[in-house]
Amino acid sequence: MTRYLCVAAAIALLCVSCAKKKDDGADPKVTTLGKFEVTAELAEIPGEFVDKPLYDYAFVMKYKVLKVHRGKVDGDTIYVGHYNPLKPRDQVADARVPEVGGNVKQFRVGDVHRMALEVPIEDCYMGGIINRYFDKGVGPIYWAVWTNQATRD
Amino acid sequence: MMKRILCLCVCVFAVMAAAHAATDADVAALAREVAGKGWIVYGARGDNGTWDLFVSRPDGTQRRNITNTPDFEEAAPRVSHDGTKMLYRRLAKGTTINHDQWGFQGSLMISNPDGTNPVAVGGEGEFPWASWSPDGRQVLCLTKKAIQFVDLATKKVVREIPRQGIYQQLFMSPDGQWLCGTANLKGESWTVVRVNVADGALNAVRSFQNCTPDWFPDSKRIILSSRPSGQPGNNGGGFTQLWMADGDGQNQQLIYGEDGFHIYGGVLSPDGLYVVFTKGPKDGSGAEKAGAPIGVMRLSDAPTITGESADLRKVHPATKDGPVLMLETGWEPVWTYTEIGAAK
Repeated sequence: MTRYLCVAAAIALLCVSCAKKKDDGADPKVTTLGKFEVTAELAEIPGEFVDKPLYDYAFVMKYKVLKVHRGKVDGDTIYVGHYNPLKPRDQVADARVPEVGGNVKQFRVGDVHRMALEVPIEDCYMGGIINRYFDKGVGPIYWAVWTNQATRD
Repeated sequence: MMKRILCLCVCVFAVMAAAHAATDADVAALAREVAGKGWIVYGARGDNGTWDLFVSRPDGTQRRNITNTPDFEEAAPRVSHDGTKMLYRRLAKGTTINHDQWGFQGSLMISNPDGTNPVAVGGEGEFPWASWSPDGRQVLCLTKKAIQFVDLATKKVVREIPRQGIYQQLFMSPDGQWLCGTANLKGESWTVVRVNVADGALNAVRSFQNCTPDWFPDSKRIILSSRPSGQPGNNGGGFTQLWMADGDGQNQQLIYGEDGFHIYGGVLSPDGLYVVFTKGPKDGSGAEKAGAPIGVMRLSDAPTITGESADLRKVHPATKDGPVLMLETGWEPVWTYTEIGAAK
């Protein structure tokens, strides 16, 4: 009987540890920076990032909005420019763009991000912007100030 | 037999290369031609190890350090159109100059064109990307919000126009009617654009991987650096070449290139007859280190290709391949006919 109990307890423990820990991505930065704050799923990365370390740029990606925490965001699809997307967010700030960050290590379609945003991107960032959605006439383009990893509710 | 064929190939190749190359005599003739035509002003590492401003005759002679400030880094000189003043940026000692962000770095300085009487116009990062208006009474600045026209006497913004995606290297045409700059346009970054000062209308001059635009003296054409796509060299990344185009984007033409080198910072002599630029093996024009060798050529020799440059010659089979006079190492050279004077 004891043996059965031990096995059951072990299975229960395994289930608990396997269950994905909920993380809403909130921290003092993402909840205060920028005028907008959303939790959104990265729906599309249009093509490959440019891998030229000598050149800084912002890259526009498509998100499906799951929850709006602050500000008024129209529609459930938004377009967000991330600065130097090949760099982990905690290493991306530099002299040109000192106030960006977060804990996202890598941009992957399907991941959920909690983001502090500004708009329009041109008012926040003066540098090269790769916007492969231009021909589709989408907008506005948000500027990602802070980007944290999050899980779905 | 095989050896003979190989020898023949080598000989043919050598003859072809010789046919392309300007001779030392051609280069010497160019040096004599430009020697008395004003001065080249540029940033370079001084003996003190920091960036200083230098002048030399366009043939490289009479080179001298005109700032010689061991406690600062100084770079990016621009002589006013009337030749009476020079602006540049002064950075804290030890600051690495960023080839794309230098306009945001350091303080705007204005001095006499020989470097004397330097005055700090603003503090660190103020008056970003400042460049001259035609009369020298204003500087144009590029901020996130707008292109600003700043009156130098009062330091007040007297006019603003939308920057329309321009993010670096903003310069006004000598006739005051146009601006050129590097911009995001239609989803494409690194597009050289032209803006009508009167109504703000903007047009692309050349799209895809272009930068460092500047005006011809006629205010009609623009010189710029461009890295066209499809180049197999540099692991497919290609090399940066010097191009020119009309302000409306028509008549795009190669001025100078060489496979294996990046050509940046092209500007015209005041009479529009000559071109000065930097030519470095590494991308970025060497701003982060010590610059790159400065080159001078005749505009009438465009398009010119130097070196073997097999890839570039395939795209541009009909080139003139005139002489290119290589000078000292430097960064962001400009050419002025103002008589700066002999060494003191």
